[in-house]
Amino acid sequence: MSEWLSQIPWSAALPAARALILVLSGLVVAMLASRLVLRALRHRLTPNSTQLLRRGLFYGILGLFLASALRELGFSLSVLMGAAGVLTVAIGFASQTTASNLISGLFLIGERSFEIGDIITVGATTGEVLSIDALSVKLRTMDNLYVRIPNETLIKSEVTTLSRFPIRRYDIMLGVAYKENLDRVRDLLMQVAESNNLCLDEPTPLFIFTGFGESSLNIQFSVWARRETFLALRNTISAEIKQAFDDAGIEIPFPHRTLYAGEATQPMPVRIVDTQLFDRDPES
Amino acid sequence: MAMPSAATKARTKPWWTPRRVATGHGLELTLGTLALQIGHAANEWRIHREAIPEDAVSDRVRIRGRRSLPAAFTERYVISGDTGPLLLNPMLADRNVVIRPHQPVFLLSQQSVVLYLSTPIWIRIEVGEPAHLLSELPVTQLSDTWFGPSTFEGEICYASRSHARHQLEELPPRPHRAITPLQIHNRANTPLPLEKFSLPVPMLSLYGSDDGGLWTQGVKLTREDQSDLAAVRIDSRPPELDRPLSLLSKPREDPGRSGLVRAFSLLFGSPS
Repeated sequence: MSEWLSQIPWSAALPAARALILVLSGLVVAMLASRLVLRALRHRLTPNSTQLLRRGLFYGILGLFLASALRELGFSLSVLMGAAGVLTVAIGFASQTTASNLISGLFLIGERSFEIGDIITVGATTGEVLSIDALSVKLRTMDNLYVRIPNETLIKSEVTTLSRFPIRRYDIMLGVAYKENLDRVRDLLMQVAESNNLCLDEPTPLFIFTGFGESSLNIQFSVWARRETFLALRNTISAEIKQAFDDAGIEIPFPHRTLYAGEATQPMPVRIVDTQLFDRDPES
Repeated sequence: MAMPSAATKARTKPWWTPRRVATGHGLELTLGTLALQIGHAANEWRIHREAIPEDAVSDRVRIRGRRSLPAAFTERYVISGDTGPLLLNPMLADRNVVIRPHQPVFLLSQQSVVLYLSTPIWIRIEVGEPAHLLSELPVTQLSDTWFGPSTFEGEICYASRSHARHQLEELPPRPHRAITPLQIHNRANTPLPLEKFSLPVPMLSLYGSDDGGLWTQGVKLTREDQSDLAAVRIDSRPPELDRPLSLLSKPREDPGRSGLVRAFSLLFGSPS
């Protein structure tokens, strides 16, 4: 035992202890500083900027203390930097995806196309942004799933921010039978929109005739709502339109197929030849 | 100033006077499209509200005590001990109200006019001293609207229609609406179209008279020549009427010390 102890180079132990103390105190100072700044600026900054500032401070302070600790151990920083440069190239080749995500993350943060708390749609995923990190963005979907999307994907694909503007438009596509009067349909739709409190008065609802469909006159009716009440409007107005059409006797047609026998004016004659056919029990 | 006919009708206390409601008793209030029932059960208050159809709305307030609790209720508020009086405080709306005259009104150049605009009020239901807030609800649920030059620049407001009357005698007595005198000066050389106007009600105080009339301070708006800016000033005092007015509620938002100046297009909507 005493032999083993005597082999320890005690001259190296002191700098090592100092380095360890430096790293530990760096951790504590970095944590304290980032928490203090967070507490002081929480109400003045957006969640996005707060998170960015907190991380910047934490890693900045920790980095400084780590550099001092390495110096304490006798490493020359300039040599280390040089080695780090060579290492970066080597690691860069080995971890292209990570590096690409890292750089994409910087662009995402700089671009500010969405922030923490926004609702975004990427591909088929819609959710609330929980955090924008160096490598990925974390989303909480509407059905409460935690989704991680790599920053590279976000940079390359189309991202829709649903919560950017305070109001949204809902487009209702509907068709009415060919016999209906379009002016009457328009007036009825406008009345429905006016009586729905969630539907904004301005911008005024939009009525667009989109074309002669196979079985119906196709219409687009667009109404505006506050972002918070968008879903409620979507549900209520559809039911109200259906009710108003039913009350006014306006037909929303099913797809029709007209069988045409070849002659322009003569309809195809249909004659039931065996009435007993329909009275039979289908099980027999 | 002459008075609406409602002035002589009511000799009783206005409906917002604090009332004591004993345990097991209730209170009924019918105001505009709102039918409200409040009951005081043991250690709790019960509220039931219903909307009256527009065509069945009466111009009179009906408030009466009941010796029983409401049969049905939509909300319960639990509170311990003696709760003190029940306060029904009228308030103004929590967002700007965009008022559109039924027909476009034009104010000719170098003219000024006072328009009387009315907006539906809200009721703040409180109990006890110090007051505990139970609920705050609009007497009439107004439709939402967007007011601004584009679909991404502007603010969410409530929408209301107005006859934009300029004769005080013509104003119908409507106890569920607060009247704001809007004085407009048009110093420009072109007529000013008043198609819609965003009334900053959250910045106004609400005053009441003993006959049940509700008023806000006047709002003065001056359109200068050769400028797209209109100076908006909110009077610091209530309108001068032939009867005393008492302060019922302070502004929800601080109007600031100086007069507000807003872009003309924002006050009147984008010119069409």
